[in-house]
Amino acid sequence: MIKSQKEKIQRVLAGLFSIGAFLALWQWAVVSTTLGQLMPGPITVITSFIQAFSVPIGTCTIQQHVGWSLSRVMIAYLVAAVVGIGLGVLMGWNPKIEAIFKPLYDIIRPIPPIAWIPLSIVWFGLGEMTKYFLIFLSAFSNITLNAYEGAKSVDPVLMGASRMLGANRTQTLLTVVLPASMPFIFAGLQVAISTSWATVVAAEMVRSTEGVGWVIVSAQDTNDMNQTLVGILAIGIVGFILATIMRGVETRLCKWNKSE
Amino acid sequence: MIECKGLKKTFQSENGAFEVVKNIDLKVKENEFLVLFGPGQCGKTTILNMIAGLETPSEGIVTVNGKEVHEPGPERGVVYQTISLFPWLTVMGNVEYGPKVRGIPKEKRRATAQHYIDMVGLQGFEKSFPVQLSGGMKQRAGIARAYANNPIVMLMDEPFGALDAQTRYLMQKELERIWEQEKRTVVFVTNNIEEAVYLADRIVVLANRPTQVKAEYKINLPRPRNYVDPEFLRLRMEITDAVDKTL
Ligand SMILES: Nc1ncnc2c1ncn2[C@@H]1O[C@H](COP(=O)(O)OP(=O)(O)OP(=O)(O)O)[C@@H](O)[C@H]1O
Ligand SMILES: [Mg+2]
Repeated sequence: MIKSQKEKIQRVLAGLFSIGAFLALWQWAVVSTTLGQLMPGPITVITSFIQAFSVPIGTCTIQQHVGWSLSRVMIAYLVAAVVGIGLGVLMGWNPKIEAIFKPLYDIIRPIPPIAWIPLSIVWFGLGEMTKYFLIFLSAFSNITLNAYEGAKSVDPVLMGASRMLGANRTQTLLTVVLPASMPFIFAGLQVAISTSWATVVAAEMVRSTEGVGWVIVSAQDTNDMNQTLVGILAIGIVGFILATIMRGVETRLCKWNKSE
Repeated sequence: MIECKGLKKTFQSENGAFEVVKNIDLKVKENEFLVLFGPGQCGKTTILNMIAGLETPSEGIVTVNGKEVHEPGPERGVVYQTISLFPWLTVMGNVEYGPKVRGIPKEKRRATAQHYIDMVGLQGFEKSFPVQLSGGMKQRAGIARAYANNPIVMLMDEPFGALDAQTRYLMQKELERIWEQEKRTVVFVTNNIEEAVYLADRIVVLANRPTQVKAEYKINLPRPRNYVDPEFLRLRMEITDAVDKTL
């Protein structure tokens, strides 16, 4: 699936056009309607956003806030990836492990991460651990489910082939079940990076002194619409970059899965 | 040498027991090319899977060189009906998979794999992924992968069944050449009589379910054979007639 250079450029231009049109409409509405009394226009917001790189909001500049949030996401997300891929693949591969863990997992899975906030505060207090825990939950369930589905759908002929070639069960797990599940695992990792990023914002809004979630709650406390929008802009841009990076990694690692 | 004694296989399904294979007795001599011929769905894959150790017989035993078969093992190489290359590995990665999981050091297994890649005519494609190969090339890689473990016996389940006619003829010739070069005891399953006569030292004809041996033909034509040689055509006709009667 190689796209021509021209097609790529056209796609980028179409995207830029719709963003430009949105910003123009927003600017127009702020200047010409009563919306202007409620919130600033895009020019003001983008200017403040750029200023926020050098002028701190609270104690940190905007890139430091993003850095705080990202580091929280990364720690919890990595733990969720290891645990989720491990548990999911093992459940999909071995019926005994499935029988033990799947029912418990099925009950925990539909509970939204924010429902755990009160309990996690009781368990872990208001510090970093609660944030890690909430992000972990939001990433873990998607990653596990996809890894499980992936391991379930491995072609039994491939597992038989590996056994016939002399692999023991553990080798079959590591050299066939795991790589065969990769496209599924990546689908899960991709959804999970977005939900983790959304969850860190929610977690920081509960209680924190820095991070993009804090930028938004502190703006709410002081009724600063401009700062709210700067926070939202930062969240959107970082979320977009994270999703793009994940897609790039997937394309590289799973290229065997796509025909030319 | 392969020996099957009183092989039976019954699958349990919702509507009770389903007898697929009924009493197969079979001896394959060392370096003999045996073709199992049978109609679709008659249980050919099931028999091969029992010899492979992938399926447990309901009754009877399989021995390879006197050793009973109870589980999969690398002394039995398999080439499959469907494409069974590992799609995330290159041709080289697939061919060296067997030696690798058996702990053969890298240099040695690379040399072995390269030898068989060359033998099946895939030199230059070592770094290609299976999606980049044609159907015929995939089966070449599958044959090289099975050979790379240096198995005692080769089990081939309609390896050319999914190929177009042209490629199929070519692959029959190639397999004949490869086998002449490095002989193995082969059990080759097909439902194509021409292919059977071209490749076989001996053809075992199976009757439909529950499957048992219906007839046997020794093919003594010199190799490589000629598809339009009068004797070839006569044998083909004779077996076709006999098979038609059993169905
Ligand atoms: N694991 C199983 N459980 C139940 N029935 C099975 C199982 N494996 C095979 N069968 C049935 O046994 C019969 C014979 O199957 P088998 O695949 O051995 O036949 P075949 O001769 O190889 O067929 P084909 O020509 O399609 O390759 C089929 O009807 C199939 O549905
Ligand atoms: Mg079959």
